[in-house]
Amino acid sequence: MISKHLTTISKRVIKQLILDKRYLALSTIAPLVIIGFYKLFADAITSSTPGFVIARYAIPISAFIVHFLCFILCAIALVQERKDGTLERLFINGVHKTSIIGGYALGYFGLATLQSVIVLTETIWLFDLDFTSGEIILIFIVIWLLAIVSVLLGIFVSTFARSEGHVFPFIPLLILPSIFLSGLLIDVSLLPNPVQIFSHLLPLNYANNILQDIVFDDLNMHETLQNIGILLGYAICLWILASSTLKETE
Amino acid sequence: MSSPFAIVVKEISRSYGEIKALNKISLDIPEGKIFGLLGPNGSGKTTLIRSLIGSLEPDSGLLTVLGKNPIKDRFELRKHIGYMPQLSAVYEELSARDNIRFFGELQEVEDLENKVQSILEFTELTHRAEDPVRTYSGGMKKRVSLACAMIHEPKLLFLDEPTAAVDPHLKIQSWELFRKLAENGTTIVVSTHLMDEAFRCDQLCILNRGELIAMDTPKGILEKGRTTLSFKRNGKEEQQEISSEPTALAQTLKSFGLEADIHSIELYPDTIEDIVLRMVDKNTIPE
Repeated sequence: MISKHLTTISKRVIKQLILDKRYLALSTIAPLVIIGFYKLFADAITSSTPGFVIARYAIPISAFIVHFLCFILCAIALVQERKDGTLERLFINGVHKTSIIGGYALGYFGLATLQSVIVLTETIWLFDLDFTSGEIILIFIVIWLLAIVSVLLGIFVSTFARSEGHVFPFIPLLILPSIFLSGLLIDVSLLPNPVQIFSHLLPLNYANNILQDIVFDDLNMHETLQNIGILLGYAICLWILASSTLKETE
Repeated sequence: MSSPFAIVVKEISRSYGEIKALNKISLDIPEGKIFGLLGPNGSGKTTLIRSLIGSLEPDSGLLTVLGKNPIKDRFELRKHIGYMPQLSAVYEELSARDNIRFFGELQEVEDLENKVQSILEFTELTHRAEDPVRTYSGGMKKRVSLACAMIHEPKLLFLDEPTAAVDPHLKIQSWELFRKLAENGTTIVVSTHLMDEAFRCDQLCILNRGELIAMDTPKGILEKGRTTLSFKRNGKEEQQEISSEPTALAQTLKSFGLEADIHSIELYPDTIEDIVLRMVDKNTIPE
């Protein structure tokens, strides 16, 4: 029953996303524009800082953009459902919390995939990056996995929120530290020890580990699989957590 | 032993902070009847309905719905309960057909497409069935919501102010349907603050500030009232206040020459809604 409800809900979410043209257009255009601005910024730094290796930052920062956007777009998903009264209606129709979280996650995975493809394609093209097809596939898998984690993180946060306003405080709390602490700008090992513990809690840290190894041609199969495993673990844990924090009764 | 009551409520209370939304409410709702919850806004009608459907947990007291606990046995009850909330609670981007189909799929309704079509016809939504619900009027959204609550033909239907913002024509049609459903064994619990609607119920419970202040048939409640008779005789007006019981009017009119064997008189004047509807119907009959 859980899987049947999950499929029914995910089909409905996908249909809603497709029908909401404005939301879909903004979700597609936003990453395109942000990557465009990022390229202008990177060009300015490259021309003024001799020896600056843009490849070290281009892909990881693109991954962060996907992480940020997927989180934001999903964080209000259940808020809307709760406000409109349809969440209560789902419960009355006997839908289990796991099916609701899973249905939403599956529905938004499509959007996450679309954003990952857009961001990766534009970054490689604009920054004129040179990767083998195998590396591109691995980069896509990592960014896509990070997007999935972001979707589930957004859904997890939205289980607490009663209005869109409740979601906003989570953005600086959960997403912005990733810029400084997940190895995006400087290596995590250069950070003070207590901060490193926090860095290891951030999913972007594990995605960044693999992306840096690809950029510097230093891939280690064991480490890569370990980092991918951790990202998958994040996704599963967030699904379970979101399923337990979604309240069925008041 | 099975209970003749679809719902049994014993001394349930529920507070929101300092506010007592329900205070030791007890009532039994018989099967196959239309049971009305009447009261002003904030009287506890919605809190009571939400407790009965398992959305709210009472602070104290016991309640059973179709012999089950609405929270613990939620998954067993789901096929037998339909709920139409006060908000439309439908997906605005989807069409009416998609919304009804979605809830039908969740309830695993057999022969779903035909049932969706017939419920669209009943709610007079066929001409807009494929349009997004966000383009509908408030009344049309209510109709979609009602259709979503009924698609699985539940034994017990909870309707929270179902006809608010619905035009009089559909309101009457809806009540005809509720009556038909009740005659076929469906128990209907309906909340309203509209008196004319309340008097279409088989039994009424009046709530105020979380307290149950009366429970009776609509006729029984009417009889608790007073009726003022106004007479004009030789240009002079006299008034007399009598009990609203039908026998009291007959008794009073005997002194005006009413035949002795008439024991009871009841008046059923048209409501303003009946009068307007008749005018509208007359006006829309094709030449």
